[in-house]
Amino acid sequence: MTDLNKLTLKEAREGLKTKKFTPVDLVQSCLDRIKLLDVKLNSFVTVISEEALKQAKTVDINLPLGGIPLAVKDNYLTKDILTTASSKLLDNYIAQYDATTIKKLKNAGAIIIGKTNLDAWAHGSSTETSDYGPTLNPWNLNHLPGGSSGGSAAAIAADETIISVGSETAGSIRQPAAWCGVVGFKPTYGRVSRYGIIAMKSSTDSPGPICKTVDDAATLLEIMSGHDPRDATSINEDTWKKPEIRQNLNGLKIGLPLSYFSPQTQPEVKEAILKAVDILKKLGAQILELPDVLDPKYSIAVYTILQRSEVSSNLARFDGIRYGHDRSYFGTEAKRRIMLGTYSLSAGYYDAYYLKAQKVRTLICQDFDKQFQKVDAIIGPVSPTTALKVGASEGQAMFGELQDMLVEPSSIAGLPGISIPCAFDKTGLPIGLQIMAPQKREDLVYQIAKLFEDNTDYHLQRPNL
Amino acid sequence: MKITPIIGIEVHVELKTKSKMFCGCSADHFHVEANIHTCPVCLGLPGALPVPNKVACQWCVKLGLSLGCSINEESFFERKNYFYPDLAKGYQITQLQKPFAINGRLNIDGHNIRINRAHMEEDTGKSVHVDGSTLLDFNRSGVPLVEIVSEPDLISAEEAKKYLNKLQQIIRYIGISDADIEKGSMRCEPTVNVCIDDQFYTPLAEIKNVASLTGVMNAINYEIKRQVDEYQSNKITKNSTNKTTRGWDADKNQTFLQREKEGSADYRYFPEPDIPPITFTKEQIEEIRQTIPKLPDEKIAEYKLLGLSDYDASQLADTKEFAEIFEKIISLDQSPEFAKFSANLLIGPLKIIEIDINKINPDHFKELFDKKSELSSTAIKQLILDSYQSGQDPLVLAKEQNLFQVSDTGALEAFAKEVIEANPKAVEDYRKNPLAIGFLVGQLMKISKGSANPQTGKEILEKLLK
Repeated sequence: MTDLNKLTLKEAREGLKTKKFTPVDLVQSCLDRIKLLDVKLNSFVTVISEEALKQAKTVDINLPLGGIPLAVKDNYLTKDILTTASSKLLDNYIAQYDATTIKKLKNAGAIIIGKTNLDAWAHGSSTETSDYGPTLNPWNLNHLPGGSSGGSAAAIAADETIISVGSETAGSIRQPAAWCGVVGFKPTYGRVSRYGIIAMKSSTDSPGPICKTVDDAATLLEIMSGHDPRDATSINEDTWKKPEIRQNLNGLKIGLPLSYFSPQTQPEVKEAILKAVDILKKLGAQILELPDVLDPKYSIAVYTILQRSEVSSNLARFDGIRYGHDRSYFGTEAKRRIMLGTYSLSAGYYDAYYLKAQKVRTLICQDFDKQFQKVDAIIGPVSPTTALKVGASEGQAMFGELQDMLVEPSSIAGLPGISIPCAFDKTGLPIGLQIMAPQKREDLVYQIAKLFEDNTDYHLQRPNL
Repeated sequence: MKITPIIGIEVHVELKTKSKMFCGCSADHFHVEANIHTCPVCLGLPGALPVPNKVACQWCVKLGLSLGCSINEESFFERKNYFYPDLAKGYQITQLQKPFAINGRLNIDGHNIRINRAHMEEDTGKSVHVDGSTLLDFNRSGVPLVEIVSEPDLISAEEAKKYLNKLQQIIRYIGISDADIEKGSMRCEPTVNVCIDDQFYTPLAEIKNVASLTGVMNAINYEIKRQVDEYQSNKITKNSTNKTTRGWDADKNQTFLQREKEGSADYRYFPEPDIPPITFTKEQIEEIRQTIPKLPDEKIAEYKLLGLSDYDASQLADTKEFAEIFEKIISLDQSPEFAKFSANLLIGPLKIIEIDINKINPDHFKELFDKKSELSSTAIKQLILDSYQSGQDPLVLAKEQNLFQVSDTGALEAFAKEVIEANPKAVEDYRKNPLAIGFLVGQLMKISKGSANPQTGKEILEKLLK
């Protein structure tokens, strides 16, 4: 049995149920792939072979994810497994408990085969700031995978795993998914519990799946979602359920914000989105240009202030007393963010920065409310460019913010969104289409994405590795 | 030189909720093995999130209402950022801009002490210093704390003590904390300065580590004197940067400098993103108000209406339990006489340490009251104590011990004649001065072994000596 690792979740489930192969075969196949490729790609910080194979022997395949190999971003706490957030500061930190989502995924039968690389503390959009070295883009090893969930996105693109989970604070699921040509589903803030995920910007951190297809991602979201009494910001609703698949998009109004096409947007990216617009039109959607959506540049400012402020506080617990290493083990990026956040929260500056940013955040939320009175969903490019070259983020303190500028507004507003592959540029690098909807309307995001995917074949293409 | 002390007090009270402020761990940390009541949340482990304890929030509101505060219908938690080894997260979750309760007051002998706020926060862990190293115990980390901040309205150490006593009494009445200063469940930090000749203000000093009410008084008095002395020598007055923090050394009976330039501390407060804002509707606030029992001031006023003195009334209202048993007793007889009678017994023989309120039987009071003409006041005091201790009916005890007074004139005449015969000198005295009858009555009581009714005995003596 070869290439089991290339299966989607749906295919793997069918194969397991019809006994074409066993969970051990499936796990082994992914581990083999990791062994073969990860020396180059560096998607994983930790690979869990023995324990994964042991679990594969006894797992109940009737569970929703029974026997399915899962790659977990290394900022999720996984009991008894090294959890580093890709920082050397935590290079010997074995988590004492499972994140709520990890518990749910384990209970559903998923088998953790490894912890994936990220920008240290999830601070970045390149996975280049990881203290364990950069992850490379499976489509072109000279390019970056995006980030911060770059390891998870690359692992999916390279078929090193069947499913993976990442987390997004402002683009960290959608942007690497776009650059790696896979599906990244960022749920509404509060839809998936944050408990047990190393906090970055608490007020927008949203864990979510990164998978090979829209359907796989939605299946994972069903399992990950649901109210968690341990997270006071979690939505007080039961688990999210996939809605019916639509036959067409008749009657649906989809908005296209003109401000999302700045001069920095690569022409090929723009073309790809306009091509996607045609497909959506053919599927029955009415496309409305939105001329007055707030310029995403405001979101960069808001996000930068709020994120740095929260980071400076969230990282205070690593004070040199409890985790083996002192604060000198923070990398340059973390130090820079802690300093900026400390500054923006300081007496005399708080009003000018933090408070002002919160006010603008409210305006951004109101702007979305206004737009969603006109349209049901909004689409746009995920990133202004395709994957940039390795080294592009070096010395660029605002690298992440510029790459994420088109996903930051919806993150700040806590909206659900998805990135799906919608084209390739001349050099063969993937381009992502994002679909956003009002809070709690993952159903719309899913329906549009699913229908788009069913009518295109970008998701079927795989890098030549 | 005219000296006017200006005193404000911050009081931290640990709530006796079952669980901690933001997690399910037991809030019990007194004499508990180190670090056993802990979890990812109160240890501040990565990824852990706080979920506010509803009961604790309600209790904070309850205290606010008991102190006459307005309740903010919309409030939120904030992070106070600072590094300290026993502060697990590197920040304390507290309230600054929108505390649950604001603008209250406490009346001390007619002087209104304004209360700025009562807000909700969490306690820190504990640093234990042993042999030059420091051990950390996180059992206390995350225990619910309410901070009550007074305005600087107190004008003497004595008044500060009364304020704290009264606050403690209210907290115990509403049952939200033991408010035990010695055990640390109530911690008081006075801030003191002095106004000299109505125009010069000495620099503020906040006093920490005061572990008793007497300590609070001594520390304030010490500080007043120290500041006046210092002002006389250096003439330095208060400004925005010269507030200091001073510790209290109870052994040396003096304060000592801990930190200078308190004004420059920057805790970088910002709204806690892990906890959504908290709302209390008018209805919810009203519901909480309904759970507040009658407070001491109200009870004292009621007792005074029964004809009790100020002193008696406040003694009876001292604790909720004591007041409740008093009210149960007087429900058996509405007369002011009975109220006075019972009050005397409760704050007399029964005002003992470690009294078990549940052992007091109201019926005993009524029985003794109904037979009070046949029992001496000494006997009644003894009987109420004996029946409290043994649980036996006091009238049965009285009979057993022969304490019923003899009012039978025949028997008393016999005693009286015996007394007159045995004390010719005293009889002579009486004839010169009728007030000397007291001695003869005493003798009569003695030979009757206290069983004589003194009034009747006196009347018979006077009749026989006519």
